[in-house]
Parts: sequence; C-alpha cells; structure tokens
Amino acid sequence: MEPLLEIQGLSKAFGGLQALWDFHLTVNKGEIVGIIGPNGAGKTTLFNLITGFLRPDSGEVRFRGERISHLKPHQIVNRGISRTFQLVDLFQEMTVLENIMVPCYSHRARIQRKKGEKPWEIALGLLKEMDLLHRTEELAKNLAFGELRMLDIARAMATEPDLLLLDEPFSGLDTEDAEILSAIIRRMHEQGQTMIIIEHRLRDLMRLVERVVAIVFGRKVAEGTPEEILNNEEVVKAYLGEEGEE
Amino acid sequence: MEKLSDHYTQRISLKSLGLLGIFSVAVMLVPLVFRDPYYLELLFLCHYYVILACSWDLLSGFTGNVNFGHAFFVGGAGFAGALMNLHLGWAPWLTLPIGGAVAALCGLLVGSFTLKLKGPYFAAVTFCFATLLYKWIMIRYDIFGGEEGLSGLDWLAETTTGNYYISGVIMILVVVFLYILSKSPFGLILRSIGENETASEGSGINTTFYKVTAFMISAGIAGVAGAMYGHAQMHVGPEMAHDSLSALIIIMVVVGGMGSIIGPIIGAYLLTLVNESLRFMGEFRLLIYSSAVVVVILFAPKGILDIVQRGWRRLAGQER
Ligand SMILES: Nc1ncnc2c1ncn2[C@@H]1O[C@H](COP(=O)(O)OP(=O)(O)OP(=O)(O)O)[C@@H](O)[C@H]1O
Ligand SMILES: [Mg+2]
Repeated sequence: MEPLLEIQGLSKAFGGLQALWDFHLTVNKGEIVGIIGPNGAGKTTLFNLITGFLRPDSGEVRFRGERISHLKPHQIVNRGISRTFQLVDLFQEMTVLENIMVPCYSHRARIQRKKGEKPWEIALGLLKEMDLLHRTEELAKNLAFGELRMLDIARAMATEPDLLLLDEPFSGLDTEDAEILSAIIRRMHEQGQTMIIIEHRLRDLMRLVERVVAIVFGRKVAEGTPEEILNNEEVVKAYLGEEGEE
Repeated sequence: MEKLSDHYTQRISLKSLGLLGIFSVAVMLVPLVFRDPYYLELLFLCHYYVILACSWDLLSGFTGNVNFGHAFFVGGAGFAGALMNLHLGWAPWLTLPIGGAVAALCGLLVGSFTLKLKGPYFAAVTFCFATLLYKWIMIRYDIFGGEEGLSGLDWLAETTTGNYYISGVIMILVVVFLYILSKSPFGLILRSIGENETASEGSGINTTFYKVTAFMISAGIAGVAGAMYGHAQMHVGPEMAHDSLSALIIIMVVVGGMGSIIGPIIGAYLLTLVNESLRFMGEFRLLIYSSAVVVVILFAPKGILDIVQRGWRRLAGQER
C-alpha cells in the first residue's frame, strides 16, 4: 500500500491547553479512516493542522512525501487535500451553483479540467451527485441544514482532492439524510476516494470505515478496526461512557 | 446542461447591460440639452465621484476590506500628475495614465503588506497613508504648495463641454469595465471572500492575491480620476487627499448599495446633486444632507439599488 498522508509527532497547544500531543497517523491511498473522540479532544485541531489553517508547534505532515506543514491553506488544497467545515458556513448570499463555482476556479480545478470542459459543467455534475440539482439557483442561506452539508461536501469535491477530510459530516442530520450521506460516502470510497472522517455519531461512522483512531485530550489512545475500538477499555472509559449519558 | 450554462453566463444580465447602454447614451446627449456650464460642471463632478465610488466598491464593497483612505490615491496621483505637468511639461494624455499607474503601484505596495493580515489593519493603514500624504502636502509647501496647492496645470479640455465629455467617456469606460469584471470569475471570487474568506481559502483560492489585485485596480482607477480632476480644475489642492473625501466616497457607495458597481453610480449622482441643490439652505445644508444620509442608511441598509430592485420585482410580479 502507498501512504498518501504521514503525520509524525504533531503537537499543538493553545496557551496552556495541549490541544494535540505527539500525534502519529498514516493514511494509505483508497482508505477511509475514522477519527473519534469526546468534545474538545482535538479532532478539528488535527484537521486545521493538516490543512494549513493552523501551524503545528512541532511535528510534521507529509503528503505524497512532501512536507506541507508550512504551506498556506489554498496551497494545500491545490496539492490535493480538501476539507469540509464542522460548522458549515458557506457563501450565504450566493447561489448553490455559485458556491461550487468558487473552487472550480482554484488552480487545481483549472489544471485538472479537460480542454473544452466548462467550469459550470463540473459544478453541475457535482450538484447532481449530491442531489442538489433542483436547488441550483437557490441562495445558500435558504437551504435546509442537510442540503448545506451536501453543498459543503460538493464544494470540497470540486477541486478533485486526493484526500478528503470530513469534519462531523453526520452531525445535525436526520436519519434519512444520514442514509443518503452514507450512500454518497460509500460510492466515493468505491471510486477510490481516500478520506478521513471525524465523527461523533459512532453508529454511522463504524459502518463506513475500516480503521478508527480515538483521540482523548489531544492524545491518540487507540487505533484499530471498529470492533477493536468499540471494545478498547480506554475508549469505552473516556468516550463511550460519555456517549451513553447523552 | 446547455440551458443552465446559459443561465450562468447571463449573470452579466442583459437588463443591466441595457441600462448601462441607455445611461451611456444619456450621458453623451446631456450637453445637447443643458448648455449651461453650471450644470455641465456639476455633472463633471458627478462623473468624478462615480469613478471614485465604483473603484472603491471593487475591493471594499465586494470583499469587505474597508479602504478608509481612497483619497490617498486621488490626491497622490493628482499631485503626481500636476508635478509631471508643471515641471516636465507632460500633457494630460500622459499624466492621466501615469498618475493611474503610480496609484496602482502604491496600491500594490500597501496592499501586499496589509491585505494578508486579517482584522482592521488594512482599514487603519489606508487611513494613515491618506493622512500622511495630506500632512506631507501641507509641510512641503515648496513642492506641493501647501494649503494653496498647485495651480497653472494644463487644461483637460478647452471648454466645460470638453471636460464634460472627456470625464463622461472615462466614467463610462470605468463603469463598464468594473461591471463586467464584477460578473467575471474574478468578481465571483471577490464576492466569495466577502462572504466567507475561510471557505474561499479552503476552496483553493489564493485570497490575498485576489484582494491585492482588486486593490491595485481600485487604486489605479482612483489615480486616473485624481489626475483628471486636477487638469479639469487646472489646480490640485490638499483637499484631494483629505479624509473627508475618503469618507464621502464611502458614504456614496453605502447609500447607493455596496458590492454592486451599479449602486455606487446612483449614490454618487444622488449625493452630488442633493448636496448642490441644498446650497440655498446655507448653513443648514450639512445638517439636512447628513440627516438624509442617515435616514437612507437606516431604512435601506443595503442601499438604494436594493430598494429599486425590490420595487421593480414587485411591479413585475416576481415577489414571492
Ligand atoms: N483557535 C483556537 N484557539 C484557542 N483554543 C482552541 C482553538 N481551537 C481549538 N481550541 C481548543 O482546543 C481544544 C480542542 O478543540 P477541537 O476543536 O480540536 O476539538 P474537537 O475534538 O474538534 O471537539 P468537538 O467534538 O467539540 O468538535 C478545545 O479545548 C478548544 O477549545
Ligand atoms: Mg471539532
């Protein structure tokens, strides 16, 4: 297997708070890796470090062997890593189509486009995949929450990433929307899309991924198959106990 | 697919282009009706303010990075043009583009240092640059003539009508250019930055590059206007670099409607004409003028253009 992403000794503190500590992870091409952890464990911080929205205090991120920790967010997107945001907040006053057009004008999308292919054709294709074609001309602010989530994923996919990072894609979705999203993720996986998915809702996640990493207080406490994680003592103590109380 | 793609490209709406066309023709016909130099001079001022307001809008109205010192570029290029004209004998057809280029270069320099920072830095620095220039003009009266400014510049055109036409053509070119630019991918990206810069960066957009480029264009156009104004008055003065000009430009855009290019045209004409028509009110003029601006901003926070568009849609029965 070919490692796409290698994270070594990644650490980040906010003042006195150690949000992430000595984190290691390797993601191979075509894999889906799940990341779980209680609130404030450092999951989003990990994504922010990978995508250049935060600088690590120490450690490094390598993508296809290249160090990317010093790059700016747009440079990382253009190298092939896209993300969605936990608090989906897109271009509210722009139409659904326009929202997708923005990444279509990124450097990466421009060079990946075949000759003669129009950016809006790509955008409409993505909207079709996300079942948003009937909303093309609607302003983003008028979308339902589930539709916004799909739109954010479509936005991230528009740069045709080699690695897609989804930050709690299921949170706030009703069962029906969660089913649709699961199907979309499975289809992308079949097409070879590499993904890291942060998720709070374990049930949805465990059915999708082959490998799960558990983070508690900024530290990786376990890594393994969904069954291994669900039976891991430390995970059960730190995370599942809390989940049970919800 | 074809139908939808057409729909997208039609965002340069034929209606708006048609209106711009009618506007242009009207501008060209005005001197045939109003021959009185008083009106033509007043309308020359409108052209000047339209250029300034629309150019300000490109960066600040679209991306939300508020430029508090547009007068820096107006005054800077005005004085640069004046000095080139007075000392080197360069004619307006040279000083206008060179003044614009100097302003664009200043925009590039100021922008590359400040527009990559988030927060109020850009607003603060633009404000400071304009203030510095104003003070510098006052201190170095040997070069800039201090409070008096510099006089004796070559005219833009021999007659008021000539000034009207030259400024009118420049205004139309600027407005059409900015409108088309605002509807291009470049404009879409500027809007996305104004909406949500993080998501824009996360979409692979080098937002700093787009902001700096927009600022450069904005500054360059303001510079052309500054040099144009100097030649038309045959005089440049420190008020061209004063904060009150920067503030007036912002108010015009806000009243007309930010981030639309069309709104600032309305705002610039309206405020220039209202200000002039209140002249008979003497010392109450400023009071009435300011109150009117406050009322508009309170009741039409998105500007007059928004009100007009909504009224239009209601008339056309499209309001849901
Ligand atoms: N930019 C920041 N500045 C200061 N503190 C931060 C910042 N970002 C995150 N933190 C803190 O770091 C810790 C980890 O935050 P993070 O957002 O990574 O958690 P998370 O695992 O994503 O949690 P959740 O499940 O609630 O999304 C939290 O205590 C948070 O308050
Ligand atoms: Mg989070």
